[in-house]
Amino acid sequence: MVDWRLFEPLFNWARKKSLWIVSFCTGCGGIEMPPLMTSRYDIERFGIIPDPSPRQYDLFLITGYVTPKTLKRIIITYEMAPDPKWVLAHGSCPLNGGIYWDSYNAIKHLDKYIPVDVFIAGCMPRPEAVLDGIHKLMEMIENGEADGWKRYKENYEWYRKNQEELLGEGWREKEARKWIPWLMDKKKEVKE
Amino acid sequence: MFGTFLKALLIILYATFVGFMFMGIIRKVTARIHRRIGPPIYQPIIDTIKFLSKKENITHGIIYDFGIIFALGATILALMFIPLGSISIMRAYGDLILITFLLEIPMLGIMFAAMSSGNPYAGIGAQRALLTLLAIQVPLGFAIVALAEFYGTFSTYEIVMAQQTSGWSIFHLPLLLAAIAYDIVLQAMFGKEPFDIMIAPGEISLGPMVEFGGKHMGILQIQHAMGLFAETLFFSNIFLGGAVITTFSSPILNTLATLAVLLVKQLAVLLIAIFVSTIFPRFTIDQAAKFYWKWPTIIAALGAILASL
Repeated sequence: MVDWRLFEPLFNWARKKSLWIVSFCTGCGGIEMPPLMTSRYDIERFGIIPDPSPRQYDLFLITGYVTPKTLKRIIITYEMAPDPKWVLAHGSCPLNGGIYWDSYNAIKHLDKYIPVDVFIAGCMPRPEAVLDGIHKLMEMIENGEADGWKRYKENYEWYRKNQEELLGEGWREKEARKWIPWLMDKKKEVKE
Repeated sequence: MFGTFLKALLIILYATFVGFMFMGIIRKVTARIHRRIGPPIYQPIIDTIKFLSKKENITHGIIYDFGIIFALGATILALMFIPLGSISIMRAYGDLILITFLLEIPMLGIMFAAMSSGNPYAGIGAQRALLTLLAIQVPLGFAIVALAEFYGTFSTYEIVMAQQTSGWSIFHLPLLLAAIAYDIVLQAMFGKEPFDIMIAPGEISLGPMVEFGGKHMGILQIQHAMGLFAETLFFSNIFLGGAVITTFSSPILNTLATLAVLLVKQLAVLLIAIFVSTIFPRFTIDQAAKFYWKWPTIIAALGAILASL
C-alpha cells in the first residue's frame, strides 16, 4: 500500500487552497457574505466558493447569533460533511452571545456545541476582517493546528452532553417527527 | 498491443489535463466578466486533490459507487472513439450516433448514483436531468441526420477528411443551421447556464450532485473535465473541420500542430458557451423542454431538409 503520510504536505496545501463554504447564513452576518463573494473583495481568488451542499464543504461560516432551533440544523450540517472540515465563527454573537447576552433564546458559547477553529470579533466584522480570519485559518491548516474535526471526534461525549443539555434528549428524532401530527391532522397544533 | 495501451493512457492524461484547464478557464472567464480576479487557472486540479484526500467517505450502497465509475468509464470510452487529429484508437468505428450516445451515458451513471442515495433533492435533480436529456435528443438527432445526409457517411473520421477538401462544415448553409442547433444543445450538455436545470445551484441545492462528497465528488470532477474535453472535441471535429495537419515532415511536429489547432477550436466552442452562460439566467424545466422542441428543432430540421435536397 502507498504510505499516504508522505503526501500530507501536498494534501494540506490543496485543502488550504480550496476551502468550499456551505451556504448556511445564520443571523445578520448572512448579509456580509455577498460582498465577500462579489467583485470588490473577491474571495474566489483564494479558491473559496459557496456551495449549497453539506456533503462537499470544508469551511462552515457561522455568521451571527445562533438560536437553539438553528443549532439543531448547524449540528446536523456539521456532522454531514466528510472529515477535514473547519468552522469559522464570525461576529460577537457566537463568541459570547454579543448583544443577546440576556436572551433566553440565543446560545452564548458556540464552542460548547461544535468545535470552532477561528473566531472573528466584531458586529459585524468588515469583509477585510473575515478575509483576515480566513488567512489565519489557512495558516493553521498548513501547520496542522486547525483540528476542530479531530477535537469533535475525541471529545464527542462532552459535545454530545452539552447538546443534549440544551436541546433535550433525543432531539433529532423529535425534530424529524415534529410535523407528522400536523400533516395527519391539520387542526392539531404543533407542540415543540 | 502495448503501443495501443500507451496511446490510450496518453489520450486520457491529455484529456484530463486539458479538461481541468477548461474548467479553470470557465471559472476565470466568468470572473473576468463579473470584473473579479477569479481563481488561478489550475484551481479545479486543487479542488480534485482536496476531494480525493478527504479522510472520510460516505456511501449509500453498491449502485452509489458503481454509478460514478460507470460515468467515468463511459466518458473514457467516448474519448477513445472521437478522432483526436491523427491519433485515435478506434476512429474507424467512431460512428456519429455511437459518440452522441456515449456522450450522454455519463449523465445516466450520475443519475444511478443520485437516485440510489435516497435524497429527495437528488431525485428532483435526476428527473429534471432526464427531461433535459429527452428534450435535447430531438434537435441533436436532426443535426446528426443533416451531417450524415450531407456527407453520405456516419464515420466521424471520414467527415473530418471530407472537410479537409471541401472546407469546414459551418460554411455550408444546411450544416450551419445544424451547427447552430448543436451549439444550443451543447449548453445543456455542458450544464451551463440557460439550461443548467439539472444541477440548478441555489434552486434545488445541487440537484443530483447534492449527496456526493469526498472521493465520489473527486471522481466526478475528473469525469466532468474529460466530458468537457470530449464534447468540445466532437463539436470541433464535425463542424469546425477537425485537424489533420501534414505540412511538416516530422510526425511529432505534425501531431503537436494538430493538437494545437484542435485546442484553439475547442477553446472557441467553450468561450461561446461561457459568454452565453454568464449573461442568461436559468430556464425552468418546462420552458427548456418547450424551447428545445421549438427553435433548435425547427433550425435543425430545416438544415436536415436542405442537406437532403
